[in-house]
Amino acid sequence: MAEVTFRSVSKQYEGGGPKAVHDLELDIKDGEFMVLVGPSGCGKSTALRMIAGLEEITEGELRIGDRLVNDVPPGDRDIAMVFQNYALYPHMTVRENIGFALEVAKVKKAEIKARTEEAAEMLGLTEYLDRLPKALSGGQRQRVAMGRAIVRSPQVFLMDEPLSNLDAKLRVQMRSEIIQIQKRLGTTMIYVTHDQIEAMTMGHRVAVMRLGVLQQVAHPQELYQRPANLFVAAFIGSPAMNLINVTLDGTAERPTANFAGHTLAIGGGAIERYPQIVDRIGSSVVLGLRPEHFSMEGDFDLPEDQILEFEIELAEAMGAEAHLHIMLDVPVVELDGQPLSAEDGDEILTSTTKIIARIDGVHYVTSGDSLRLGVKTHLAHFFDPDTGLPLS
Amino acid sequence: MSVRRKGPRATIVRIVTYLCLVSVAVIVVFPFVVAFATSTKNSQDIFNYPPTLIPKEPQTIDPTEVALPDVDADADEPLPLYAFPDSDTQFALVDNDVSVAEFRPLDDVDRIIRLDVTSGEKTGEVVIIDGAEEDIFAIEVDGTTVEAYRSRLTSGGQFVSLDDPTDVRVELVNVVEPLQQFGPRLENFEEVLIEKDFGRSLTNTVLVTIAVVSGQILTSILGGYAFARIKFKGSGPLFLLYLGSVMVPFVVLIIPLFQLMLQVGWLDNLSALIIPFMFSAYGTFLMRQFFISIPIEIEEAALLDNASRWKILWRIMVPLARPATATLATFGFLYAWNSFFWPLVIINSGNPDGRVLSLALSTLGGRSSTDLNLVFAGAMVAMAPPILVFLFAQRYFVENSASSGLK
Repeated sequence: MAEVTFRSVSKQYEGGGPKAVHDLELDIKDGEFMVLVGPSGCGKSTALRMIAGLEEITEGELRIGDRLVNDVPPGDRDIAMVFQNYALYPHMTVRENIGFALEVAKVKKAEIKARTEEAAEMLGLTEYLDRLPKALSGGQRQRVAMGRAIVRSPQVFLMDEPLSNLDAKLRVQMRSEIIQIQKRLGTTMIYVTHDQIEAMTMGHRVAVMRLGVLQQVAHPQELYQRPANLFVAAFIGSPAMNLINVTLDGTAERPTANFAGHTLAIGGGAIERYPQIVDRIGSSVVLGLRPEHFSMEGDFDLPEDQILEFEIELAEAMGAEAHLHIMLDVPVVELDGQPLSAEDGDEILTSTTKIIARIDGVHYVTSGDSLRLGVKTHLAHFFDPDTGLPLS
Repeated sequence: MSVRRKGPRATIVRIVTYLCLVSVAVIVVFPFVVAFATSTKNSQDIFNYPPTLIPKEPQTIDPTEVALPDVDADADEPLPLYAFPDSDTQFALVDNDVSVAEFRPLDDVDRIIRLDVTSGEKTGEVVIIDGAEEDIFAIEVDGTTVEAYRSRLTSGGQFVSLDDPTDVRVELVNVVEPLQQFGPRLENFEEVLIEKDFGRSLTNTVLVTIAVVSGQILTSILGGYAFARIKFKGSGPLFLLYLGSVMVPFVVLIIPLFQLMLQVGWLDNLSALIIPFMFSAYGTFLMRQFFISIPIEIEEAALLDNASRWKILWRIMVPLARPATATLATFGFLYAWNSFFWPLVIINSGNPDGRVLSLALSTLGGRSSTDLNLVFAGAMVAMAPPILVFLFAQRYFVENSASSGLK
């Protein structure tokens, strides 16, 4: 077991282009479950592959434990990796797949057998030991890949989107299994995913990356509650945080956010957390409201100036809760000239902002209704529209 | 998805289709059938007219089973059987070198009666035939005495009826119909392999083929892997150059290659058939394409498992590349086995010990082409191994033509 340290690590692929990883500073503690998360192309996989030694490091220092590993070949780093497509050796049985690393290390046959079976036992693979990978289901293959990593007792586990090829139900199951295995072995684990739910539920800490740059490293809850910038705010949470271009108005004691003909008073808690609000009265800022910051009028005791009337575009009953889609006649929030809420390849209307409110499932709402919703603005977030930084 | 029409029209279409396909198949297969049939025929049977597909041999009978007339037939040899047009019984040829007299009755000089030379008695009278004076004989034909003159003395065979030992006839052997039965002559193969020295050629060919195929597989795996996965300066242009050599026709290379062999001292030597062909640009290309199609993660996983390049190649990549290797092996085999022109150039015609099958076959065809059965037996010997290989490896042929390296 060991800590992993990035010191100003950069990666520039041959043929130019922007750096895949830019000046990465990251300390991963011994025994920690660290999740690297971000949209595709954010450099998370590159960072992981640099730890594995599968990508050369252009600049900076990478240490595993006390050892500088920039130029150490992959096999000598004492790490194990689980690949997205599992990368099982198709012509070897499960037993041979799991035992291959030990065989290469010239471990005695009896010990290989014992350790292979122990790993198989831990993963519930005992009865499949003599099967070929093609005779296994996706979940079982995933377990074999895990087994191959576990059997070596490496210093660090690396996982590159290991669950993305599984169906939703199996993904949830394997998620908890991986958490348990990591807890049981206590090995440092670095886990790459683009799925922020996986990131939130699995990691001790989560590192959010964008365009090769580390945005924030924090406990999942802190990421959620104190996003370091607009990108993290928009990326973490499902449904995502509603980001609305607003103009600040009102008084220093009771500022208001004005948008699309609405005037929304900002609660005291927000002013404490984002003191710059007061200085920005009269200018444009980005207001961030989590879906759960909305409620039906009367569910919570909110002052009248924090209650707005909205027309519901679409109501989705989820059982315990309902998601209300509301269209606001406000241009969408952009970051670096790109609409923030857009997924890859999505075409969205940039002249209107869609927000989602999450209300208690006891209320019956149908699309087209006009509703009065309370907004817990004391919990709201505020960002500078140009820098994307919080107004704290 | 399989689409299958039904109805009378579709049935007719299907029948016509099958008929066409079957006839094409028959046309394709027919030469092989002829070759095989001929290879098992004896030296008389190959000239039988009309030719048959079924090898035949003369029907014979053991001499002890025949009531022999008083002739000096060799008692050990089986006697061939013949059929006479006027009799249902079979006749054994007990002596094929008896003197035969041909008589022509005076009242019907176009008729020829063949009898033993001792039969007939001179009447003392003569007759003038075409200006020549001939004695008149009294001969017995079907129980009546006929006057005839003797037109010719020749030699023929003495035949004895199997049913009636007293029915002994004398006739020219080639005018009676020999009885034949199914009789393949497998000794043809023995003769070709031993007497015509095909055994040595077969050994040479097997040796050359094994060496060429294993050499090609080894070098193609190493080269293909290097081009597929190892980054080195100039690997791209080098690969293109190597691949480009596929485009150079072999005839262009013959003279320089011959010169080279001359310099190295491999003229008239099997090495000249092996060493230059152990390196295959096509094989390297095939293996490279296959290696590229193997997910890189599998190799990375092995790297992380601390396996060396060498270990990765032999433990991971080569077992996975089995289909490509098999394809390469089959094509290499066919090429090496069938190659004719280069051996013809490099192996002296006076050196039977250096011959490969293709050369031996051409010599056999040229020198003793009347032994068509032996030529075809040699062809069968040369053909059998490729056919066996094809039967076992056909799916790799099909796979390759369907998806050459594109997996």
